[in-house]
Amino acid sequence: MPVEHLLFLGAVLFCIGLFVVLTRKNAIAVLIGVELMLNASNINLVAFGHFDPDFLQGQIFALFVITVAAAEAAVALAIVVKVYQYFQTADLDKISELKG
Amino acid sequence: MTELNDFLTPTAFNPLIYWVLALFALPLLSFFTSGLFKGKAPVWSGFLLAVNTCLSVYLALQHWGLEPGVVIKGTWFETGSTAFTYSFLLDNPALIMLVIVNFISLLVHIFSAEYMRHDKAKPRYYAYLGLFTFSMLGIVLFHNLLFIFIFWELVGLSSYLLIGFWFEKKSASLAANKAFIMNRIGDLGFLTGLMILYTQFETLDLGALKLLMGDSRIEDGNWVINYLKNGEEVIHSLDGRWLSAAGIALFCGAVGKSAQFPLQVWLPDAMEGPTPVSALIHAATMVAAGVFMLSRVFVLLDAQALEVVAIVGAITALMAAVAALSQFDIKKVLAYSTVSQLGYMVLAMGVGAYDAGLFHLFTHAFFKAGLFLSAGVIIHQLHKLETDEVKFNTQDMRVMGGLRTYMPVTFFCFLFCSLSLAGLPAFSGFLSKEAILINTHAWSVEKGGGYYLIELMAFATVILTAFYIMRAVMLVFTGKFRLPELKGTPEIVGKLKEGNMTLLIPVVILAVLSFSFVFGASISAEDSWLYQSVRTPRDTWVPKEYIAMSQAEMLAKAGTHHTWLEVLSVGLALAGIVIAILIYKPGAKLAEGFDGKREPVSPIVQVSFYHWYQDVLYTKVILKFILTQSKMLAWFDEKILDGCVNLLARTQVVVAHLTGMFDRYIIDGFVHLTAFTSGKVGQLTRSIQTGNVQTYILSAIAMLIMLLLWFAF
Repeated sequence: MPVEHLLFLGAVLFCIGLFVVLTRKNAIAVLIGVELMLNASNINLVAFGHFDPDFLQGQIFALFVITVAAAEAAVALAIVVKVYQYFQTADLDKISELKG
Repeated sequence: MTELNDFLTPTAFNPLIYWVLALFALPLLSFFTSGLFKGKAPVWSGFLLAVNTCLSVYLALQHWGLEPGVVIKGTWFETGSTAFTYSFLLDNPALIMLVIVNFISLLVHIFSAEYMRHDKAKPRYYAYLGLFTFSMLGIVLFHNLLFIFIFWELVGLSSYLLIGFWFEKKSASLAANKAFIMNRIGDLGFLTGLMILYTQFETLDLGALKLLMGDSRIEDGNWVINYLKNGEEVIHSLDGRWLSAAGIALFCGAVGKSAQFPLQVWLPDAMEGPTPVSALIHAATMVAAGVFMLSRVFVLLDAQALEVVAIVGAITALMAAVAALSQFDIKKVLAYSTVSQLGYMVLAMGVGAYDAGLFHLFTHAFFKAGLFLSAGVIIHQLHKLETDEVKFNTQDMRVMGGLRTYMPVTFFCFLFCSLSLAGLPAFSGFLSKEAILINTHAWSVEKGGGYYLIELMAFATVILTAFYIMRAVMLVFTGKFRLPELKGTPEIVGKLKEGNMTLLIPVVILAVLSFSFVFGASISAEDSWLYQSVRTPRDTWVPKEYIAMSQAEMLAKAGTHHTWLEVLSVGLALAGIVIAILIYKPGAKLAEGFDGKREPVSPIVQVSFYHWYQDVLYTKVILKFILTQSKMLAWFDEKILDGCVNLLARTQVVVAHLTGMFDRYIIDGFVHLTAFTSGKVGQLTRSIQTGNVQTYILSAIAMLIMLLLWFAF
């Protein structure tokens, strides 16, 4: 399977994730979008890992990203829970306290 | 060469200083504490003065006849290398004055106890008397011109307070002002004299001044003195005329204080004070100060200054004697008489007869105090006749007349004092006046020519004096009592009584003291112990080019004329007395019509009545001139000076407004513009901050894409 297909899949997945991040109102949904984008980059890493059979740096880096994403999800979800408790909503359009 | 500081070294401690301080302290104590004693003030002050009199008599007896007197010197304070010293001199004149001042002050205290009995302000009155006595003692005892000047001013102040004692009366407060202002004019001269002497000699100690004056000399018309000051030689040179100027300037002080022409106008007005005060002012304190000061600076006066003194004295004596001729007010007669007699004393000083001048000062003190206190008795007793319905002027001779029958003691006292004033033999006034006339004659002979005019004036005054005082005696004591007729109240006659003992004792004492046997058994002044005790300083100390002829030499030259001079003066006095008796005897035309007499119309009498129009001259010319000038100055001040100030202020205000506008519109404008711009920029930039996290991400990504595109191409 040529590498272009994999890169194409990664790009599509990234764009979907970005679209979700930019358009969804719910904070949880935005977090899901972020996960999609992280996974899209994972696909890229694994795809390029194919060219490094000796050390498999791409695969190892993807493992790191998964770990970091898990940590990120834990922290972000905790923040979202606190934000929801404070504002009684998770709608990002309504959370605009920093408006100048 | 003499060392200045040698003259000023303090003398060794002398216990006498305690006596001197006590003499000062008692009257001062009376001044400060009279107020505490309320109704008992006369007793307390009288007691203090009695003690002081005893002290001064004791002191006089102890130090009598010591030549040249006891000197106590000390340092007052030092500034830099200049020391200001004080010194006391107790010599015969000072001791006599000491006794006279205290004694007469004591008599006045006693007299006032009755005279001021019903006055509410009695404590204030006695306090002032204490201050007056204290100030006068300062002039008598101090032998330093600076201190004499200080006490001189204090005498001026206390006379001001006493003349204006009844200050609620407009005339009294005006008279007090007049006395004070006239004295100030004289004091200006005195101060000038002090400055001249200080410039030349750098000290005002009279003892030192005398010696330094002896050291000074005339070189090429300049008055030169050189001496050592702290070991360094000092040379002072002034134009020779300053020597005369200094003498004349010092005399100006006496002109003010001793009521000499042209400043004598205050004294008749000073009659507004209580009568005992008049006695004190005229006899012992105020006016005596001027003559006494003249005697103290006598050795410093040169021929020219003495000549001025003599001429002024003669003019004053004659003018005042003429003015006394036609007065209605008994106190006015006595006041002008004092001025006239002071003229005699000053004349005596001027002709070099230091001893005669002082002698007349002493004898005059007693008989003039006697006259004033007798007049006080009359005024006081007449005042008792006043009721709410019957009001009259108690000092006006037109309401008196025939008082001899009602008040015999007063009559005899007044008569004896009057005869003493007129200068009849057997009375003290004769002794001293004779001495003055002899000396004046000797002086006129020596000077010759127009100077005989001075002698003529002195002799003319003798007859005038006898006339006016006998006129007063006749008008007051003989004939019938005019008041009941004038007021139409015949029952008033029975109420008039002789004064009580408190009033009469001082008067009688003073009347006794106006007899000549008290001062010497012979009818010649030369034999009087009092006259002998005040010898003229044998040598004057001014440089010989400016020195006046000595008294001894003048008398030696003219000495053979004594007898006819005495006869002449007694003859003139008798003539004056006889004329007065003839004109004013009961039944005579003038005496009968006297009660209805009004202010004179004949110009000659007016000259006398209005005292040569001197007051009119002062009011109409000098006062008017000064007032006009003041008005002009006031106008200048108001319009020009104030105008300038206002203009300046207005300009300032206008400039301030302009500055304010610049500040408000230009400077503040810039500040506002800056703030406005910042505000607008802020508003622009804040719109980016939406608060929506997705917008931020969008813009971040947009930037990222643009950045990638930028790198790509």
